[in-house]
Amino acid sequence: MNNTLLELKNISYKYKNNLILNQVNLKINSGEKIALLGKSGSGKTTLISVLNGTIKPTHGEVKLFNKSFEELDRKQKSKITTIWQDLRLIEDLSAEQNVNCGLLAENNFYFAFKNLLNISSFKKAHKYMKLCRLHNSVYAKKIRKLSGGQKQRVAIARSLIQGSDILLADEPFNNLDPKLITTIKNLLLENVDKNNTKKSPKTSLVALHRLDLLNDFDKVIGIRDGKIFFNIKRNNLKKFHLDKIY
Amino acid sequence: MNKLKLNYTSLSFLPILVCIPLGYQLINNIHFGGFKLFQEFLISAFNPKIDNEIIITVINRINETILIGFFSWLLSIIFGVIFGIISSNIFYEIFNIPNFFYRIIRFFLTIIRSIHEVVWGIILMQIYGINFSIGIIAICIPYIAVNSKVFAEQLETIDYKSFESINQINAPKFSSLLTLIWKPIINTFKNFGLYRLECSIRSTVILGLFGIGGIGTSIFLSFQTLNFRELWTYLWSLAILIILSGLIFKKIKFNTTNKILSIFFIAVFFIVILFSFSYFLYFIFNYNFENFNSVSPLFKSISNLGLFNFLKLILETIILSLLSAGIAISLPPLLMVIFNNNTSKIFIKTFAFLLRLIPTPVILLILLTFNNPSLSLAALTLGLHNAGITSKLLFTNLDNQDRRNYIAMKSLGISKKTSWLLGLFSQQAKSYLAYCAYRSDIIIRETAIVGVIGSVGLGWQLQESLSSFAWQEVTIVLIAYSSIAIVGELINGKIKDSLT
Repeated sequence: MNNTLLELKNISYKYKNNLILNQVNLKINSGEKIALLGKSGSGKTTLISVLNGTIKPTHGEVKLFNKSFEELDRKQKSKITTIWQDLRLIEDLSAEQNVNCGLLAENNFYFAFKNLLNISSFKKAHKYMKLCRLHNSVYAKKIRKLSGGQKQRVAIARSLIQGSDILLADEPFNNLDPKLITTIKNLLLENVDKNNTKKSPKTSLVALHRLDLLNDFDKVIGIRDGKIFFNIKRNNLKKFHLDKIY
Repeated sequence: MNKLKLNYTSLSFLPILVCIPLGYQLINNIHFGGFKLFQEFLISAFNPKIDNEIIITVINRINETILIGFFSWLLSIIFGVIFGIISSNIFYEIFNIPNFFYRIIRFFLTIIRSIHEVVWGIILMQIYGINFSIGIIAICIPYIAVNSKVFAEQLETIDYKSFESINQINAPKFSSLLTLIWKPIINTFKNFGLYRLECSIRSTVILGLFGIGGIGTSIFLSFQTLNFRELWTYLWSLAILIILSGLIFKKIKFNTTNKILSIFFIAVFFIVILFSFSYFLYFIFNYNFENFNSVSPLFKSISNLGLFNFLKLILETIILSLLSAGIAISLPPLLMVIFNNNTSKIFIKTFAFLLRLIPTPVILLILLTFNNPSLSLAALTLGLHNAGITSKLLFTNLDNQDRRNYIAMKSLGISKKTSWLLGLFSQQAKSYLAYCAYRSDIIIRETAIVGVIGSVGLGWQLQESLSSFAWQEVTIVLIAYSSIAIVGELINGKIKDSLT
């Protein structure tokens, strides 16, 4: 049975005459946990933006559930969630309002309205914020008043609350201390908790810089100058692989 | 020899050179027939008429002014928000609508904005006659366009990455739109929308001078009968109204997290929209369009306007705008640097307040008591009124500015005036000039008001053409007006962009 969720075929992306992605081919299967490695500027963020449909590639084809993005309806598109490197939170809204934004896809306009007026329920948002180790004193604070680490966790909570099947994360452990990194990593990669309730997406692609965090991933992809240099199982990763991309 | 280099500080003073040709013409036109009247006008400021009869009149007139001013403000804010949203990029990005529509709406709003509310008022009065709703509509038309521009500009500042992020959640389009625009709209309303109430009251007063009702009509009638004591009673009442409205809005804190208040505002929002639409339909179906039926096709016959005279009027309007802008830009900093002490500061602030308070047509009529009507006199009037507004902004910014440089310079033994100029004003000059560029747009539109009374420029021609129901001429004058205002807005926009 074909269990490919996301597929890139011969993807190239040009920006101001610079080739950012060059003939990228990639398949992400259901349940895979993939680490994406590469230097800064190697094309990791662009690859994630192509995968979630934010950027249209100059050449090639992106398929989600064997359909191109244009063929998908809104509900199908919302099966992907993204944690952006620059977080992309709405600065003027509070932390809990930002997390509730993750629920916009499954709710109607009235919910968005209530969220902005602060009269919607924040129960679910608080649950996810708690999972991300955010203290309740942070919940009602404006984003601009939070520290880098707190913002990072708000962005993660917003992404997890979406309940999507696929997680794309661009350096999600930035701004976090070592203890929090372990907590958040477990949260992102272990998709069920002790009570067997769903916590995070089953399939994930996470862009990383820290090699000590690779243990929990099944596969590792190495990217350099917009080209995928290797796409291997984590156990097969050797030093020469890393030398190729760093 | 060193090359002359202009900086923002010197550029703020340079436009005062307009006073040379202006002063020359004003001195030549001086007459002494009305000095006594002018003296009487000044003395009456300290001795306004106060009796039961006038107090009742003031209350009634103020009520009318509040009614017109408040409703035109409320409507123009609500529809300003709606048009602001549909003329902003973000709307088209979210709904995947081609940018073509966005350009059409913006162009349409630019044309509407380019014509002053007084012009709209005069035209509507000619068509429908005099009543309150004409005042509200006349103010609303350009105000909606102005407000929508400001709201749209604020919506353009939404971080594109936030848009991408919300878009990627794949929420319903309206939910995404609302989430992104909510806070910018609320903040713009707090910072700009509330101030527009004061503008709306001023516009109501000016329209009142042309007979629409409210305190403006009483001001004009008192002036016509040369009853200056009565005139000052109305002017001081107007001053109290403007100060009070400013104070009330300063005290009210619009807390958007207050649930009851939020629901109240939303209810008002929808009620006003429903009411406006129903009133609009009533207005369309219940009015007599007899006068309007006389509008014949624009280019059916050659207009009675001679080409040479028409070009002369256009040129006059442009010169009038330039001279007025020169005074409005340079007079406030010049007075502040020359009379640089606390007593003078109070005097300048009071003078500026009076210039803002007294409607431009009244200032012009006062100046006409000792000067013949001319382009220079109209320019002086418009310049002085706008200098009152620019000086308010300059004073506020200077009062809030860090004074350490100024103190440091003074401690070095540098004179107070030089320290003020280099230690205080120089830091404000750039933003001051940027505001003046925006103010110049308004000055161009306001040339219509002084034109009507001062017999100069297109404003005068418009009044003439309207009086004779020469609709072709009216249309041509409006096109010319609109073109000047649009070109002026484009130039000022470029200047403003280079300064910010």
